[in-house]
Amino acid sequence: MDEIHVKAGRPSPVRSDHPGDPWSYRNLIWTFAQREMKARFKGTALGWVWSLVIPIATLVIYSLVFSFIMRMSPPDFGNGKAGIYFVWLFCGLTAWSFFANSVNAGMSGLLGVGALLKKIYFPAYTPVVGTTIATGIQSSIELGVLVALLATFGNVGWTYLLVPVWAAIFFVFCTSIATIVSMYNVYFRDLAHIIGVGLQMLFYLTPIIYPVTFIPEHARGLPLRRLVELSPFSQFIELFRDLIYGLTPGGWKQWLYVLVITGIVASLAVVVVRRRGQDLGEEL
Amino acid sequence: MKVTGTTEPLEPKDVAISVRDLGKMFQLARDKRTSLKERLVRGRSAKHDDFWALRGVSFDVERGTTFGLIGHNGSGKSTLLKILAGVYRQTEGSIVADGRVSALLELGAGFHGDLTGRENIYLNASILGLSRRQIDEKIDEIIDFSGIGDFIDVPVKVYSSGMYVRLGFSIAVTVDPEILIVDEIIAVGDEEFQRKCFDHLYKLRQRGTTIVLVTHSLSLAAELCDQAIWLDHGVVKGIGDVRDVVDAYLGDVNANELARKPLEPEPLEVTGVPKSPRRGSGEVRVDELRILAGRAESDELVLADAPCTVRIEYTAKADVLAEFGLAFIHESGVTVAGPNTTAGKFGLIQLDAGSGVIEYHLDSLPLHPGQYTISAAIVAHGHIYDYLDRAFDLLVRAESTVQEPGMVTFAGTWRHNGVVVKTALDHGADVNADS
Repeated sequence: MDEIHVKAGRPSPVRSDHPGDPWSYRNLIWTFAQREMKARFKGTALGWVWSLVIPIATLVIYSLVFSFIMRMSPPDFGNGKAGIYFVWLFCGLTAWSFFANSVNAGMSGLLGVGALLKKIYFPAYTPVVGTTIATGIQSSIELGVLVALLATFGNVGWTYLLVPVWAAIFFVFCTSIATIVSMYNVYFRDLAHIIGVGLQMLFYLTPIIYPVTFIPEHARGLPLRRLVELSPFSQFIELFRDLIYGLTPGGWKQWLYVLVITGIVASLAVVVVRRRGQDLGEEL
Repeated sequence: MKVTGTTEPLEPKDVAISVRDLGKMFQLARDKRTSLKERLVRGRSAKHDDFWALRGVSFDVERGTTFGLIGHNGSGKSTLLKILAGVYRQTEGSIVADGRVSALLELGAGFHGDLTGRENIYLNASILGLSRRQIDEKIDEIIDFSGIGDFIDVPVKVYSSGMYVRLGFSIAVTVDPEILIVDEIIAVGDEEFQRKCFDHLYKLRQRGTTIVLVTHSLSLAAELCDQAIWLDHGVVKGIGDVRDVVDAYLGDVNANELARKPLEPEPLEVTGVPKSPRRGSGEVRVDELRILAGRAESDELVLADAPCTVRIEYTAKADVLAEFGLAFIHESGVTVAGPNTTAGKFGLIQLDAGSGVIEYHLDSLPLHPGQYTISAAIVAHGHIYDYLDRAFDLLVRAESTVQEPGMVTFAGTWRHNGVVVKTALDHGADVNADS
């Protein structure tokens, strides 16, 4: 007979009320990220090339419409050269598409593991974080192309060093929102459709395709430009453009603002995970 | 019988899983408000029906034992299993486990069709809590055990259902769980793989793994488990030694079947009206065939190992010589036995015109539980007076699980070094005598 290798340890509840921190589930989160990356373009002839074709196609469409038809003129490069709309737009679109993709992929990612969550326990946020990481990796490829493009125009500066810091904060921000939305989407399936419309509205309310100076200061007694500027999405995208296009480090108020907002959203995500994310096995 | 509704607390150090006053309530919303609009428009106060899937369940599972959950559909077995696996949270009570729990609910449910078998192993094993290094160490063993071979690098969507199941089982058992929770799995896979599973479960038991198992196969439960719990509508009906619990459960199932039968529009007897067209010249006719089972006359269910009499009432139009024969045919089509009056050295019987009765008696019905049909014949020297082919139903049920394969029980005895070995059958007889 084999040796008895089961040791009597400390008896513990099968499920604690605490869902467990992401670090202790890093292995699982990474596995979900890999699964997402492998599954995303599996069976397509071009595979990962699609992850670049789609953003570039979007970029070309917007550039055609806004720079040729609407004749939008972008701010100058940080190195003083005359701005190019298509490059300027690329900066905003890269940041925005990471946000939009992580929310959408988070929702479908959580629903996709539904069958699994009914059979075995693991924290419901792990697949959401996993898909956001996968989205992040896809976005970093875009970012690489963007940096290469900016480098060909000679627009490189020390502020590039702040981009990873910005990216880390933005990642936490997007992951938190994706987590909140994905969990509630399990309870109210309409949310996915509402979010679809909401994202589109938000896209046009954020200075991505136009500079923030395009917005009238006041409209119908409302300080419209101020309101748009106060949106965390505007702040994140403006800050990113400052770093990578304008080559300025951004004001400390801007940094503080995005940090505080991210802190609030992340705390909210923790509350939602604890209150709503524990019994998804019954709801899915 | 020792089956009671409560548990005796065991020594704490031996316990791997301890469940106390466990309750699980589901809210069955009459019309569920899952859409946001409905929530906003009509408010939160959807009508809820509280449904307790489990209530007041307490038991201990000793370390290294195998514990079975039995009960009819909807009794709360699966809910309990899901709480044990941590998928659901209990509404009340406590559940404490000592050791790493690995659950195996519905094999292969977590496979991603587009990923290969190998990629799915990494995915599933990391959900079960293994690190990448641990998986690297185990992966060959898992692939080997599953017997999938070259298909391991092919997307699992092209797998056969058997391959799916084999891969799932291989992952779950090779992660070396301390407590394994298994849901009705052994019934899948081919014979060879089933044997491998049994062997492996046996090895796990030898190593001291605690196993909790749900199964509808009572003979499997009796074979694998040490202890069992019987759930009925969310409450514990019996707990203790697996044989006692299974017997009590079977007794209940039999009683329910009996209680249900009279509601059917057909006549109560097993017997009576022949189902199939009869053959024969008709000088003598079977009027009625009745089965008189041990206890009460006209029991529709006949218990295995209990006394049983087949009574044929006949009417003869004239004085004739005749031979009576019966055939017991199993649902599989095999004729298990065919007693007749000639073979019994009884010879041809002189029948007088008018009606009469002939009976065939067995002290102990040797048939195993199942569905049988009876044919009856009255013949003489190859001439058929009346022949009713498979005309009567015979439903054999047991009060305890049958421990032997086959269709019939031989009335043999075992001797070990000259001493008679007491068998499970004697145990069953004791139980019958008690009740």
